[in-house]
Amino acid sequence: MRRKILITGGSSGIGLALANRLSARHDVMVTGSRDRSKITEVFSPNLIYVQASQSDPKAAVKIIAEALLKAGWVKLDNVVLNAGTGFAVKNAIDDVERVRQTIDINSTATILLSRTLYPWLAKAEGTLTIVGSVAHKGQALFPVYAASKGALHGFVRALRSEWRGRVAVQILHPGPTKTDMHAKAGHDAGRLHSIFINPSSMAAMMEYAMSSKRSPLSLSFLKYYLGGSIMGKSL
Amino acid sequence: MRALVTGGSAGLGQALCARLLADGFHVTNLDRDLPDQASTAEYVRCDLSSRDAVDKALMTLTSSDGFDLVIFNAGISATGKFEEISTSSHARIIAVNAEAPISLCAGLMKAGKIDNGARVGFVSSLSHFTGYPGAASYAASKDALAVYAKAVRKVWQKQLGIKVTVVFPGPLKTDHAARHAPDGADAEKRMAPNDAAKLILRDIKRGKAHSMPGVAARIFAFLGQIAPKVMTFAMKKLIYSKLDKTVAD
Ligand SMILES: NC(=O)c1ccc[n+]([C@@H]2O[C@H](COP(=O)([O-])OP(=O)(O)OC[C@H]3O[C@@H](n4cnc5c(N)ncnc54)[C@H](OP(=O)(O)O)[C@@H]3O)[C@@H](O)[C@H]2O)c1
Repeated sequence: MRRKILITGGSSGIGLALANRLSARHDVMVTGSRDRSKITEVFSPNLIYVQASQSDPKAAVKIIAEALLKAGWVKLDNVVLNAGTGFAVKNAIDDVERVRQTIDINSTATILLSRTLYPWLAKAEGTLTIVGSVAHKGQALFPVYAASKGALHGFVRALRSEWRGRVAVQILHPGPTKTDMHAKAGHDAGRLHSIFINPSSMAAMMEYAMSSKRSPLSLSFLKYYLGGSIMGKSL
Repeated sequence: MRALVTGGSAGLGQALCARLLADGFHVTNLDRDLPDQASTAEYVRCDLSSRDAVDKALMTLTSSDGFDLVIFNAGISATGKFEEISTSSHARIIAVNAEAPISLCAGLMKAGKIDNGARVGFVSSLSHFTGYPGAASYAASKDALAVYAKAVRKVWQKQLGIKVTVVFPGPLKTDHAARHAPDGADAEKRMAPNDAAKLILRDIKRGKAHSMPGVAARIFAFLGQIAPKVMTFAMKKLIYSKLDKTVAD
């Protein structure tokens, strides 16, 4: 079956790798805050791109809903809320403006999108996949980032229970992945970065996790070394 | 000794302020509303859903001496079916319950206004352990606080001697709880705010990582830790399936 799939944060990294992978067999719309011309990674010509900055969650929700209507998409089989940002800080003291930005982009926009996209998902009896992080339990290097992802963990736990039988809701917690995120976060992982998981392998693990509909799932080294990126059911 | 309590005008916050005053603290109460009862606490007006108001409050708070004890207690809720609660209500819950306390805390820390050796408490919710179908964005906001506290605790303790406590209160006999409980829920089983405040302050002063006032809270947290999925299912039966109304603060 050809699916209709929406992926936020699909202008780079994990989201784009997942979108490229799925675009061969499905219709995929991706979002990002940057202009289309600023996308530097491989971008499948089959993808539909929507520029929607989640720094203003309410505006982003409106732009995305309008884009769906404009494209004539009346249902969504899969929604992957993956857009995210984070900043490394010293002494676990975040900057107030960055607290707001991180919570807006990672938590509030994700929650508002879940709410607004409900009719599309319900119509397809679809799956809502939310991207957390292994940091969701708390990490001194990025306290607010961890908090924003912890929020998503509790959110999914409640919503998965509420929507059972209507829309599957799951949270996936990726482990360290080789994307621009670490450089953007102002965190130099040094030599460690080379052992991080490739975005394409992470995308494979995500696709299999999406088709399993299980939650919560941690997609980190353990799963990877156990063959998580080569074994699983595709969507 | 100087203490700051957010949401000190009613409920648990008011009880916390009263106890701190009795203990001899100079208390600052940051709240949107004036206190219900006359109090000698200093009052700073602040609507936590407004970033401008939070910035202004931060200016006021950082222009005087630092604090020895800070409790981020203020919170709002919205209960009902997730898709029937407006996006504005969901956004407000995250802003008031998660963004505002974290911003205030980070802002005070940046300005060096939480003194070395101080105590900081974040009032989260037992839903951190049990899940909370029927209040998904509330659960999200309270988990953000619990995780934030956990993220900063070790570093602040090591470098500044500041100890951070997460408070997980069970159902309290406050107006807030009464509004959001399903009709017919038994109010008598809830703890009086004054009793909860006593236990919470004891834990915060001792610098404990967690405070779970009351036996019921501890049992819920324990069950949630050993059987998280079963607990979320039980919460759905207990609360979500009985929701007869959508209520937003
Ligand atoms: N990389 C890791 O090690 C790792 C580990 C655990 C979890 N994660 C999570 O995985 C997700 C993807 O991260 P990634 O590693 O692929 O990082 P990335 O390459 O930096 O990609 C992040 C994506 O989110 C989008 N985004 C950021 N801010 C946005 C905003 N204000 N509005 C709209 N979109 C915005 C970006 O779009 P623009 O650049 O166009 O704004 C980009 O498409 C994030 O949620 C991240 O927290 C990553």
